[in-house]
Amino acid sequence: MLASAIPTLVFYLLAAISLTLAWSVVTGRRILRAAVSLMGVLAASAGLYLLLDSPFLAGVQVLVYVGGIVVLLVFAVMLTRTTELLEDHPTRARQIVGGAVATGFFLLSYNMMTADAFVGRTLSPLPKNDVAAIGRALLDTGENGYALPFEVVSLLLLAAMIGGIVIARKPAVAAKPEAFHG
Amino acid sequence: MADFLTAHAPTLTHWLVLTSALFAIGLYGMLTRRNAVGVLMSLELCLNAAAVNFVLFNRYLAPTAQGGAERLDGAVMTIFVIAVAAAEVVVGMAIFVAMYAERRTVDVTRLDALKD
Amino acid sequence: MPPLSFILTHAWLIPAIPLLSFLLVGLVLRPVSQKLAGLVATLAVGTSAGLSWLLAWDFLHLVPHGQPLPALVPWSFQWLHFQENFAINLGTLLDPISVMLLVVVTTVSTLVHIYSTGYMHGEPGYARYFAFLNLFTFSMLGLVLAPNLVQMYVCWELVGASSFFLIGFYFEKPSAVSASKKAFIVTRFADLGFLLGILVIGFYAYQIHGAMAPDLLHGQQPLDFAFLTRPDVLARLAGLNVHFLGVGVLTLSAVLIYMGGAGKSAMFPLHIWLPDAMEGPTPVSALIHAATMVVAGVYLVARCFPIFATSGEALTVVMSIGAFTSLFAAVIGCTQDDIKRVLAFSTLSQLGYMMFALGVASFAHPLGYSASMFHLFTHAFFKALLFLGAGSVIHAVHSNDIWHMGGLRKHMPITHALFLIATLAIAGIYPLAGFFSKDEILAAALHSGHTVVFGVGLLVAGMTAFYMFRIYFVTFWGKPRSEHAAHPHESPWVMLAPMAFLGVLSIGAGFVPIPEWVQLPGAPVEHEGIDLAVAIPSTILALAGISLAWLLYGGAPERVDNLVKKLGGFYVAAKNKFYFDEFYLFVTHSVIFRFVAQPIAWFDRNIVDGLVNLGGWFARTAGLLLGKLQTGQVQTYGSWLVSGVIAVVFVLWGVLKSGGN
Repeated sequence: MLASAIPTLVFYLLAAISLTLAWSVVTGRRILRAAVSLMGVLAASAGLYLLLDSPFLAGVQVLVYVGGIVVLLVFAVMLTRTTELLEDHPTRARQIVGGAVATGFFLLSYNMMTADAFVGRTLSPLPKNDVAAIGRALLDTGENGYALPFEVVSLLLLAAMIGGIVIARKPAVAAKPEAFHG
Repeated sequence: MADFLTAHAPTLTHWLVLTSALFAIGLYGMLTRRNAVGVLMSLELCLNAAAVNFVLFNRYLAPTAQGGAERLDGAVMTIFVIAVAAAEVVVGMAIFVAMYAERRTVDVTRLDALKD
Repeated sequence: MPPLSFILTHAWLIPAIPLLSFLLVGLVLRPVSQKLAGLVATLAVGTSAGLSWLLAWDFLHLVPHGQPLPALVPWSFQWLHFQENFAINLGTLLDPISVMLLVVVTTVSTLVHIYSTGYMHGEPGYARYFAFLNLFTFSMLGLVLAPNLVQMYVCWELVGASSFFLIGFYFEKPSAVSASKKAFIVTRFADLGFLLGILVIGFYAYQIHGAMAPDLLHGQQPLDFAFLTRPDVLARLAGLNVHFLGVGVLTLSAVLIYMGGAGKSAMFPLHIWLPDAMEGPTPVSALIHAATMVVAGVYLVARCFPIFATSGEALTVVMSIGAFTSLFAAVIGCTQDDIKRVLAFSTLSQLGYMMFALGVASFAHPLGYSASMFHLFTHAFFKALLFLGAGSVIHAVHSNDIWHMGGLRKHMPITHALFLIATLAIAGIYPLAGFFSKDEILAAALHSGHTVVFGVGLLVAGMTAFYMFRIYFVTFWGKPRSEHAAHPHESPWVMLAPMAFLGVLSIGAGFVPIPEWVQLPGAPVEHEGIDLAVAIPSTILALAGISLAWLLYGGAPERVDNLVKKLGGFYVAAKNKFYFDEFYLFVTHSVIFRFVAQPIAWFDRNIVDGLVNLGGWFARTAGLLLGKLQTGQVQTYGSWLVSGVIAVVFVLWGVLKSGGN
């Protein structure tokens, strides 16, 4: 009895935390505080993954998202920080338009997600060793394998890394064109 | 209390409404945040909601064989989404840094070069 | 009939050579060498003239002496094919009048070309001038040879265009520009009537053509002159019970066609363009506005004569307008001071002569037809000579006003002698060319019973002698009245030689038996040498006119002033050409412009343009409003994008759901 009650409680708790923190991410005046809230949302999502019996994904989420991406964001904010970067004042018109569009999307999505096709479905049992199964799927070159997307993503990460360095680097040479005129 | 909770165990629909709400909040942030970094963070919210959805559908809708789910495509996709999000943040932040060096602002409402 | 000689079957060469030369001179030689351009143009027309003389020789020897000359189309090709039984050909029609006019046009044109090499020497636009002269010669020859109304109409417009170019040759001068516009607009207005006439007669001729048995057609097309002038076709046209404004089809189309002819031949009341056309270079006036183009109207009426004769009423119109124009122009001619304008009014008067000669002719009394063509023939030579002589004088004195001249006979003896010959010829003194043709016309008027017209003709003959000798005496006798007139130089031989040739023709043309050759087909031969009952009074009147001119202008000019005072208002009115230009100006400016053109212009500017502008304004405003959507704000774009996605998904979802049920 209790065994099925706790996950339900955890789910609603995590849902409430996620929604609250997400709201503070998009409306928070101070960008650093928003970044911390984002970290909370992502951590709550890791909890949701655990609820879905996917501890490996939860681990990835914490390591990459919380530990990597958000820290990168915070670093970048700190590196280029100005008052403007820290403060945010969207106009009223934009808030109304954005709110309308987001509400519209939610209503549409809600209508679709509550459709009959999704009602009454239950969790299917996982394979025992799901980390090994994910690893096989990623490296499988067969019909159901993801070897090619895996390689493409690795290339993408490499390209993003190089691109990030190139773009963010200070334009050392081009900044002084008069040097070429002698 | 426990009975109440057991009676209201989350179904697939509850999960989907949660992720939809997270996505809609992210969308709102994308459309209203003036700060480019804020826009990027809102985008992360959307991506995260979508990643949860992948796992969700995998867990509820994937065909099953004896002993467990036959496929783990949703989980694999989530890993890809996280990787792509990482790449996107790297490039996005690099662009903002360069943009800040060039124009001394990351306010997206003042970046209206598309008009010309 | 013997087999046709080369030149008869290849008569198209005669217009083709000036056309090629026009293209060569106008497009290739003009920027290269002025001198070469003039030489090539003159040679081309000269070749055409030689071929024409050969052609005339061969044509006259087609049939034994005494038999009527044939009309044949030795060369033609299909140009426009509309239907099985309706096509329009281009070709060469050879009959007595076309061959005669061919010779006249090429000969005068050649002489004018030679003269122009001297007259236009050193002018800017020398090559352009020759190119246009060639174009004109080509167009005129195409008109003369036209075997059907359409080819004639096309060439008719071409001569109008080349006339426009040549009148406006000195396009830096505003008066030349307005004169060329005036000539073009007036003749173009008249050509509208011609076109309507072609359409009217073509419509009914086509129906008659279609109803006829094919073996009766002899391959003729509805608009061929050969078809239109067939007695059986004319009888059917006359028998049509179709009326417009109480006028039958035949008369209507004849009068409309005559309108075109009247415009080109400057008949009253469309005469106003011809005096102004004298703004062009003098050789152009000699060629186009005296000898050739202006007789195209007479030629057209002669060409369609059976149509007019069958109608009868149309012929009366031709006669009345012709007689009135000849008198009207003669009266004005007595008062003008510009030597070229006097000659222009004299041309009008002589064209009226030719027209009324055609008007008095009929199938019963065809003499007027021959006489008209005869006068056309002789007039071309002596009027061209008069113009070239006037050009020679103007060249020397640098003025058109006869009161700036005087006493030129001592300094310019050759010009003087030739001018005198031409003046005597136009006055109708035996044995010069004008005497014979004028005598024929007067005889034709008398014998066909048109006594009033005969009286007018006699009167005009006397007045012609008077005003021609008036300018002769004022120009060549008395004392020089200006600086230039005191020391004029005789013109160079390139100008005098063509004049001398024309002088010979002015003397001899009257002995060419044109009336014998040019007979109205299907009418009895009516030719009777010199009729003393006509010749004696006309000669007496001519001599009286000359004497009066001598009395008034040979000596003291005070007599003229006294006479002018006595005539008073009438003289002033005649001097101002009876205010016809003012009248037309009033009609066009005050009536047409104000009450027709201006409202239409207003309508065009405000309603038509307004609608267009409204469309433009709408598009512009819509563009501006749409442009506002493009803010450059990524988030605005994002809102639109997501809204669009929502709308699309919503619609799609609805469709799928309803499709599922």
